[in-house]
Amino acid sequence: MHRWYEQNPAGRPGIISSRIRLARNLQEYPFPAKLDDKVSTELVHRLEFGLKDIGEVEEKHFKFALLNEMEELDRVALKERRVLNSAALTKKKPSGILLSQEEDTGIVLNCDDHIRIQMLGAGLYLEELWEKADKLDDYINERFEYAFDDRFGYLTSFPTNVGTGLRASVVVHLPMLSQGRKFSSLIGDMSRFGACVRGVHGDVEENFGSLYEISNLKTLGQTEREIIDTVTKAAIQLTNQEMQVRKLSIQKRKIEREDEVYKSYGVLKYARRMTFRDSMIFLSQLMAALSDGLVKAKEDVSVYRLMLGIQPANLQKISDRPLSKEELDIARAEFIRRELPALK
Amino acid sequence: MLCERCKIREANIQYTEVVNGVKKEHHFCAQCAKEMDFGVYAAIFDGEFPIGKLLSGLLGIEDDNQGPDKLHQISCPTCGTSYDTFVRDSRFGCADCYSVFGPLMEDSIKQLQGSLHHTGKAPVYQNTEDEGEKGGKTNGKVLVKGVSEEEKELSELDSRLKEALRFEDYETAAVCRDRIRELRKGNETNA
Repeated sequence: MHRWYEQNPAGRPGIISSRIRLARNLQEYPFPAKLDDKVSTELVHRLEFGLKDIGEVEEKHFKFALLNEMEELDRVALKERRVLNSAALTKKKPSGILLSQEEDTGIVLNCDDHIRIQMLGAGLYLEELWEKADKLDDYINERFEYAFDDRFGYLTSFPTNVGTGLRASVVVHLPMLSQGRKFSSLIGDMSRFGACVRGVHGDVEENFGSLYEISNLKTLGQTEREIIDTVTKAAIQLTNQEMQVRKLSIQKRKIEREDEVYKSYGVLKYARRMTFRDSMIFLSQLMAALSDGLVKAKEDVSVYRLMLGIQPANLQKISDRPLSKEELDIARAEFIRRELPALK
Repeated sequence: MLCERCKIREANIQYTEVVNGVKKEHHFCAQCAKEMDFGVYAAIFDGEFPIGKLLSGLLGIEDDNQGPDKLHQISCPTCGTSYDTFVRDSRFGCADCYSVFGPLMEDSIKQLQGSLHHTGKAPVYQNTEDEGEKGGKTNGKVLVKGVSEEEKELSELDSRLKEALRFEDYETAAVCRDRIRELRKGNETNA
């Protein structure tokens, strides 16, 4: 059994993963923030019981867990792997999750909304993920009546999700394009087409790893297909531009690119202490060089899996104990040394 | 272009100021912008839901212009969310909040979403009956829960009644109670 991020995304270079999220609420309950513990528990159990055959729709094995009873470290690790959002981390009231073994399909119960369906996949697969989410949505709707309004569409806790309740997003890797001077205006242009681009890691000034998430800005007034189309087009456009710059860089300064990636690889393969920031920068350079064919690995490697693996909660889970910052850096270097394949 | 305040980081926020008809453009980096005082718009620069918070900024301003007292009194009868809480959290409390606060914030939703009309998917199994009215049309298939319309309305009314009592909203509670009595009576005569 492979988790979704352990596969290397086939097809378009620069595109890491796709995600579809649908927000839904039941007609008969107020939204989660207004429910007390007793009603929250009742709702979560009703949903869990009502959706117990969910595995048959997806032909997958699902597990149920109560988020409020889960160890915090496990919750953070799920957030690092993008299964949960930060609202689900801080939620104290009873809430739950139905998660497929591959972690590509998750249904979060009673967090921001009563139901949040999430589909994840490596590569550019918004269309396929939407079809699956649509099916799952119908399956749930056969069992529970949704809060829906002819005018506003699916009603959600936040007005930013009302309508389709759909957030379609694609994570792209833009190490060269993002260094360019025109990058911020490029991102601005994207918002005019209805797509929002934000850095995945790090703070606003510096996005280490150069991973960017493109998602739809609006959820109301457009059909699901139109939303998916907008995000897909933005992802293709940005990665195409990235690839043009990269092609140019190989033509003009191949030796510099090679030097850079071999140095990065050397540090990743032999260093004894690695901060998250440095690891992300070096892994990002390796990711670009592998995709450009500047270096070749002996075994197939998903650099994105390494990027997910070097985050604090995951490293602490591997070590099976809480780690100080210093110990984390050591554990991170160890993890990378172990997982990084040799170069050809 | 570098941020004109710290002159270190790249400026990615353009701020246009119009004072007495004179337009001035400023360029800041996100960190400086966050540190500076942009009033209600400061919320744009932090948090998980920048757009959501922007909404509360927009509504907050409207609030000042439209005589706040009237709006402060509005609250949702179903879940008890007040206008103040709604503006503060940019978050609805229940499905009915949309009909309570919806008309007040149509402009903001339009600004936020660019539209006021849903055009996407609709639920396959949906009861389109209005609350409190019998004999509405059903859209597509009927719910597969095996519960009659009356029973469904009864259980809904029952939970609304409890909720209303919890928030000491006796007016709504009385309406629910009367409707429950009416329905139960109807059931008895039918049986």
